[in-house]
Amino acid sequence: MTNVSISFTEYLQTKAGITDEQLLQLNDAIQSKTIEKGSVLLRQGEICSHSFFLEKGLLRSYTIDAAGKEHIIQFASESWIISDRSSIFFNEPSDFYIDAVEDSTLILIDQNFINLACEISVSFRLFNDRALQNHIRHLQKRINLLLGASAEERYLDFIKLYPDMLLRAPQWMIASYLGITPESLSRVRKELAKRNFKPY
Amino acid sequence: MATKNIELVATPRAPHFVGDGFRVHNFIPSGFRLDMERMSPFIMLDYNSKYNFPPSIVPKGVGVHPHRGFETVTIAYKGKVAHHDSAGGGGIIGEGDVQWMTAASGVLHKEYHEEEFSKTGGIFQMVQLWVNLPAKDKMSQPKYQAIANAEMGRYELADNAGFVEVIAGDYKKVKGPASTFTPVNMQNAKLNSGGKADFSFPAHYNTALLVIEGSVKVNDTEIVPTDHFVLFENAGEDFTIEALENAIVLVLSGEPINEPIFAHGPFVMNTREEIIQAFDDVNLGKFGYLED
Repeated sequence: MTNVSISFTEYLQTKAGITDEQLLQLNDAIQSKTIEKGSVLLRQGEICSHSFFLEKGLLRSYTIDAAGKEHIIQFASESWIISDRSSIFFNEPSDFYIDAVEDSTLILIDQNFINLACEISVSFRLFNDRALQNHIRHLQKRINLLLGASAEERYLDFIKLYPDMLLRAPQWMIASYLGITPESLSRVRKELAKRNFKPY
Repeated sequence: MATKNIELVATPRAPHFVGDGFRVHNFIPSGFRLDMERMSPFIMLDYNSKYNFPPSIVPKGVGVHPHRGFETVTIAYKGKVAHHDSAGGGGIIGEGDVQWMTAASGVLHKEYHEEEFSKTGGIFQMVQLWVNLPAKDKMSQPKYQAIANAEMGRYELADNAGFVEVIAGDYKKVKGPASTFTPVNMQNAKLNSGGKADFSFPAHYNTALLVIEGSVKVNDTEIVPTDHFVLFENAGEDFTIEALENAIVLVLSGEPINEPIFAHGPFVMNTREEIIQAFDDVNLGKFGYLED
């Protein structure tokens, strides 16, 4: 619910300080796309050419291990951006898949757009730098939780970051993101309900 | 008393599936001029028009989901639904029966085709309504009212015209068994071909009809076919329904709750903060736990 559906142009104006005039210059580089649930936007081995801004819907990035098991790296819903940054930056094959968990409307952001926006807007460049730092912060925190936190601690952190995901994504996906089995997720939620639910 | 005229007749929109067990036309709130504020206290109406579900070993339905801030009312016209909730409640809603669930402060529940019905398959026809609660009652205790068809109020119309079944409110002093938080009338006019019934509700009540079976003529002028929805103006009190063939019409009339509505998914509250709280509470298990 913290994610309110806004358009990409509104996002650029309110979050990245892009002016009406700059928006006109950027308009041609903004490409929107509507995809159905299950559509794949990036496959392992491909070079990632775009980042995806979600106007509406839900995407996930994940890997598939040697045994065929999926491991979810990130979810992205309204106003989030998802991509494989390193594949884009280093122009190397991606380790990840990105696909749609729900029917989605998204904006394709390519390097030309980023370069142009950074060139014409100082505030966008600062915003973009900050977004990268924020991404690294999240990844570090996530590594730390995966290495050392209990299933419940991971779950409590997850619901802070993704308050509505429990109502949008299937349990097995959430368990996969948390690095626990669906049975463990079920146990964590039962245990919380035992502590917090006051039956009528 | 003045005549209550028709404001609009809505044709059913393209159906969509809720889970895999309910194929519904939504009238409220997505219909033209049928938003939550206009229709209050009736803030959602999904209509599963007659649909033949093939036999299924695994019962079709909707998995675990929460509700907070309103009541759900399920009226089963054809077929049977089983339901379970996070407080250990559950039951079966049979043909002609109504389940009135006050979600209020919050429940997790799931609804499926009843096991035997699922195995044989068959015609399924159902209405699900959400009735809003006033702010002061939104966080009250959840409860159920299982209303069997035999418990409903029944008013026999003269001249073999048929009868009016009263779920909530009253029809010519015959009361319905449902207890409500604000004035709500919910009735089924079950009319024989040529039969006529007259209704009277306060002018300011939001009033609507859904033609479940057959076709009818309203106020001696407008012909309304099966599966169509009628919204009345908020002026005048009296209207008539005449059956052009054997007909069933769901009659809804309720006093609007004039409070701000902030709705998101399965929660209907008054403010954005209360919606964020609802998500937090579900995530932390405050609605309980229910296995899928």
